Amino acid sequence: MVATQDALLAQMRRGTLQYCVLSLLADEERYGFDLVRGLAEMDGMVTSEGTIYPLLSRLRRDGLVESNWQESPSGPPRRYYRLTERGRSALDGFRLEWRRFRDAVDHFVERTESK
Amino acid sequence: MSTSADRLVEEYLDRLERELADCPSARRRELVQEISEHIAEARAGLDSETEADVRNLLDRMGDPADIAAEARGPGPETAPAAVPVERRSGALDVAALILLLLGGVVIPVIGWLVGVVLLWISSAWTARQKLLGTLVVPGGLALPVGLLVLATSESTCYQQPIPGARDHMLCTSGGSSGEIIGSIVVALLAAASIATIVYLGRRMGRNAEVAAV
Repeated sequence: MVATQDALLAQMRRGTLQYCVLSLLADEERYGFDLVRGLAEMDGMVTSEGTIYPLLSRLRRDGLVESNWQESPSGPPRRYYRLTERGRSALDGFRLEWRRFRDAVDHFVERTESK
Repeated sequence: MSTSADRLVEEYLDRLERELADCPSARRRELVQEISEHIAEARAGLDSETEADVRNLLDRMGDPADIAAEARGPGPETAPAAVPVERRSGALDVAALILLLLGGVVIPVIGWLVGVVLLWISSAWTARQKLLGTLVVPGGLALPVGLLVLATSESTCYQQPIPGARDHMLCTSGGSSGEIIGSIVVALLAAASIATIVYLGRRMGRNAEVAAV
């Protein structure tokens, strides 16, 4: 793949990753390791798992997620993350915009491919 | 648990700690702890832990430099643009305060007015703080200094020969009680002016801190 295309992919990932994190937290609270594994299950979404932690920290500071500590059956207590109201409305807003954007790009890219 | 695997993880965490050197220490500690717990949990899930397994695991965690870059904040496109703007406004803010206090003394009226304009175009203060900076004290130190000059020129004494009398000292001062009240007013104006500028200077620092967090 061309270098600029790699950079573009990295940009797209960076821009959308936080909404994937918010989506994973939409229905249930999760702790860091669980969340990272959930993201990494999808091929191509996360290239370095460690970068999720600073992202989580920023989402917390921005008030989009909140966290609390819970005892774990094995090992030290875990910090569980859950969506705040603000996080939920940010996710809803993004979902709308994303669908519009995705459909628009598909409209052009898919058409030329099917020809 | 093999010691070479332990050493690999240790080296990785050390590198991460170094890469995060410019982060606030509380955030750095939290990140290193979370990532070290993540690694521990991933290792616990391995069936048999070989050195290659641990290397793969650390590869998946990613380069500590990438993690530190993410911790430093938004993408590289926006970060450099934001910094110079802040610095430039910082210098202008300081200039505003200096001109508000002393501008009127150096260039009467105009020097202070330039300070007022800089104060109002700045984003370092709230509207209330700007109003305070404008009204306390109009002209800055120029007002008390001007009053002082006026008072001393009025109260100058000069000798005037009066016929039929010996040399007589003539003073045009408003009397000693007037003088005391005058100097109190001058001192209060100067103190209020300086106090306002000091207050605005401290707010500027604090507002900037809030913006940075």
